[in-house]
Amino acid sequence: MGEAAGASSPSSTPQLSQLIVTVSSAKLTAGGGLFTAKPDPYLELSVDGQPPRKTDVSRKTSTPKWDEHFTVLVTPYSKLDLKVLSSNSIRTDTVIGHAVLDLHSLLEKQNGKLKNFNKTFELRTDSKNKAGELELSLDGMDIDMRLYPKRSRNGTRANNATNGSAAAMSPSASGTAASGNSSQRNSTAQQGDGNRRQAPRPPGRTPPPVPPPPNTNAASQNRNAAPTSTSPPSTSAEATPTTATTATTPTAAPAANEPLPPGWEMRTDQQGRPYYVDHNTRMTTWERPQPLPRGWERRTDSRGRFYYVDHNTRTTTWQRPNTESLNNFAQWQNWRGGRTMDDFRQRFLYPQQQAAAQEADPLGPLPDGWEKRVDSNNRVYFVNHRNRTTQWEDPRTQGASQEDPLPDGWEMRCTAEGVRYFVDHNTRTTTFQDPRGGPSKGPKGAFGVPIQYERSFRWKLGQFRYLCNSNALPGHVKITVSRDNLFEDSFAQIMKLQAFDLRRRLYIIFKGEEGLDYGGLAREWFFHVSHDVLNPMYCLFEYASNCNYSLQINPASSVNPDHLLYFRFIGKFIAMALYHGKFIDSGFTLPFYKRMLDKKLSIKDLETIDAEFYQSLLWVKENNIEECGLELYFCADFEILGKVEQHDLIEGGSEIKVTEENKEDYINKMTNWRFTRGVEDQTKAFLEGFNEVVPLQWLQYFDERELELMLCGMQEIDVDDWERNTIYKHYQRNNKQVVWFWKMVREIDNEKRTRLLQFVTGTCRLPVGGFAELMGSNGPQRFCIERVGKETWLPRSHTCFNRLDLPPYRSYDQLVEKLNYAIEETEGFGQE
Amino acid sequence: MAATRRLQKELGDLLSEGSPLKKSFRDIVVDESNILLWHGLIVPDNPPYNKGAFKIEISFPAEYPFKPPKVLFKTKIYHPNIDEKGQVCLPIINAENWKPATKTDQVVASLLSLINDPEPEHPLRGDLAEEFTKEKKKFLKNAEEFTRKYSEKRPAD
Repeated sequence: MGEAAGASSPSSTPQLSQLIVTVSSAKLTAGGGLFTAKPDPYLELSVDGQPPRKTDVSRKTSTPKWDEHFTVLVTPYSKLDLKVLSSNSIRTDTVIGHAVLDLHSLLEKQNGKLKNFNKTFELRTDSKNKAGELELSLDGMDIDMRLYPKRSRNGTRANNATNGSAAAMSPSASGTAASGNSSQRNSTAQQGDGNRRQAPRPPGRTPPPVPPPPNTNAASQNRNAAPTSTSPPSTSAEATPTTATTATTPTAAPAANEPLPPGWEMRTDQQGRPYYVDHNTRMTTWERPQPLPRGWERRTDSRGRFYYVDHNTRTTTWQRPNTESLNNFAQWQNWRGGRTMDDFRQRFLYPQQQAAAQEADPLGPLPDGWEKRVDSNNRVYFVNHRNRTTQWEDPRTQGASQEDPLPDGWEMRCTAEGVRYFVDHNTRTTTFQDPRGGPSKGPKGAFGVPIQYERSFRWKLGQFRYLCNSNALPGHVKITVSRDNLFEDSFAQIMKLQAFDLRRRLYIIFKGEEGLDYGGLAREWFFHVSHDVLNPMYCLFEYASNCNYSLQINPASSVNPDHLLYFRFIGKFIAMALYHGKFIDSGFTLPFYKRMLDKKLSIKDLETIDAEFYQSLLWVKENNIEECGLELYFCADFEILGKVEQHDLIEGGSEIKVTEENKEDYINKMTNWRFTRGVEDQTKAFLEGFNEVVPLQWLQYFDERELELMLCGMQEIDVDDWERNTIYKHYQRNNKQVVWFWKMVREIDNEKRTRLLQFVTGTCRLPVGGFAELMGSNGPQRFCIERVGKETWLPRSHTCFNRLDLPPYRSYDQLVEKLNYAIEETEGFGQE
Repeated sequence: MAATRRLQKELGDLLSEGSPLKKSFRDIVVDESNILLWHGLIVPDNPPYNKGAFKIEISFPAEYPFKPPKVLFKTKIYHPNIDEKGQVCLPIINAENWKPATKTDQVVASLLSLINDPEPEHPLRGDLAEEFTKEKKKFLKNAEEFTRKYSEKRPAD
């Protein structure tokens, strides 16, 4: 075995595997009467000198039983240090005995397999006396030992790496490998799968003979390709993926003479160009494969497909990582990080406008000796420093046009957003309706205020804030995270806390940074964490489509075995963002917001996420389907992780043909299923997590666009940029309807503009480069206004093409009315 | 599978005696375990491609007929509308034009007419399109040579 190892060669950083260590029990010998009482033993387990994991303490026994499982990451050369200590409340804990497990020698004896392997270890005291026995069970490892030859006692891993693998690569060994028997070859193909989730091997895979190593000719070619590689091969593995700091670390090109990973072969095509065959995945590539970077592991899913786990960040991806891609990714992250922070400072809901209003107080300065203050309920009051009194009335307008006094027992307060509401202390109720009456403004809606008012986003926001404030808990909650491990730290801390704790005032601490969180750090934290967790590279979320950079749940998220926990976490996190009034980086798709609001999804909603599917379903809806041989039944197929699954839309649906009579039902069911397929569990976990922090019914006031605004905030829209980058179809730039359109856009406020943008593009967010970089389904797609229909029609939008169908209205007022109607009414109108 | 019945019917139509494509699209092979993947042989009538035959692969998505199939040439062909990887730009299965009522025989018929009469105004290979329009003779000569060299043998009948 040792001889054959040269061919497929140990990569300089052995792959990590998961090992499940079950600490069963121990028998401790009483140490010569030194122990008058029985000890309180517990066990410490440490891998390669890393911080130890501990069992619980067993009380007063010399035969402790723990039966605790630890999952640890090991390399085949790891050493496990096992220490039994006695807990002591006054003095430091004393070591009863310890044992060292040399994984490599054990693996050699077991042919690389540790499956429920039980072993008894002898415990020794520091003075090498026997201190007892320890029972362990090891599980979950399955590796090919030929890849991991024994290392000389003083040949540490670092030594091996710096010397390069040249020593291990004696050319003569190659012949041995090529003639290895077939069972060994099979295990070669499987290497790296050693973990609990190991799937049965896909049938019928018979790997071709183990390839010869690259010959010297190939090596020299590659040396030409990478002339700068003077550093040892291990440097290529140094790049840890996602942390932004690595982007600045120069990483050397991989050493050309580095051996190929196991199962790879280099071949030459007709033009003499080298290419590489991966017999593990039966794929070829022009790029020379590199060993996995440090901390990465390759695993196999239930379909026998390979995916890659990054233990550094606990993320997975389908893409085989290499130094270059990780570098690119880090750079991208870094770049995005930079712009993200700019972006985050630019977002707002209302505060800027309020600040502006204060600056330009039309009443002029206050009289001498007066000061304006805001009380804890955000209500403005005035201090007269001369006679040390306070009053609600503005001294400048006092006596001018005063509002009537409130009835007895009533008080006026303001929400954080400055919306007035009224407290009736007589009945202990609050209302937004002014008890003094006043001119009624049209019909009243369900909330007892004029509909006009109720529909305003500001009012809804006030309602929501009121619910948040009245359910707030006292005190604060500390969340300590490090910037390089933001995702994981945040995950661990949020999941550890009770949901109600997350409603306390947040106090975010970035490790190693001074700075008191008066809101700024929390804002930053929300922005950065959202940027991380929603990153499609982690396979939890995906872009809705190539025309839509909004995110939705990735049906393949189960490549991460813990995905439901993560969705629960993200649900909590998003609820926290809303609760604490902070923004996140990327937004979700409008259908996803609708799902949060428990709104029915319509066929039109499909267009934003799957235009092709939408077109086909629409075709079925709009055409007579009898006698065109569609052969549709009440069932549908869906491919997930390479597996096609059939789903019946109704019971026995695969036998019920779709006809002209029942197609409406079919379309509804199909639409519904298209949105839920493959993501039900994840959505449920997300909503559960959300609901724990913010009850979903608190969102009832909002529609999906407002929800997006609340989460992502608004950006100041540059109308000039917008107009400059707009194209026209069947309209000319100087047509009156176009002139009116821009007149209207300039007249409405930023919130309305944002809604108009959402109506046409499907999102309130603009690309970094502004309107010039608006994307459509076929790449860049600028905002387009097309002349369609008659003046009686409402404007329509095509979010996938960023197109507004604007009928040729007869007057400015008509255009304003119709456009307003279209963007205010979200359900069923406008978007057809 | 939801698409199975539809595809079986379409396959049956293509294999039937009465199929108008009987001569020009033949040797249709569908793996029993995967009805979503078809192989077949395209036998064009017009020069310069009438000197050979071409293997193609039609793959249907799981969401068929809501999403269109894809066509791929497995035999090398010297054609302005087919690139070196065998990809074809066929309007009938383009995302914008696709209708769930479109049948595979229509797709194949449309492919045949594209092979027989190249459309240099929508080329995938600009160099060949230019040659086709500007130096037709040279194009025909090259294409014929290429066909002789790389294409499949035409069936006897």
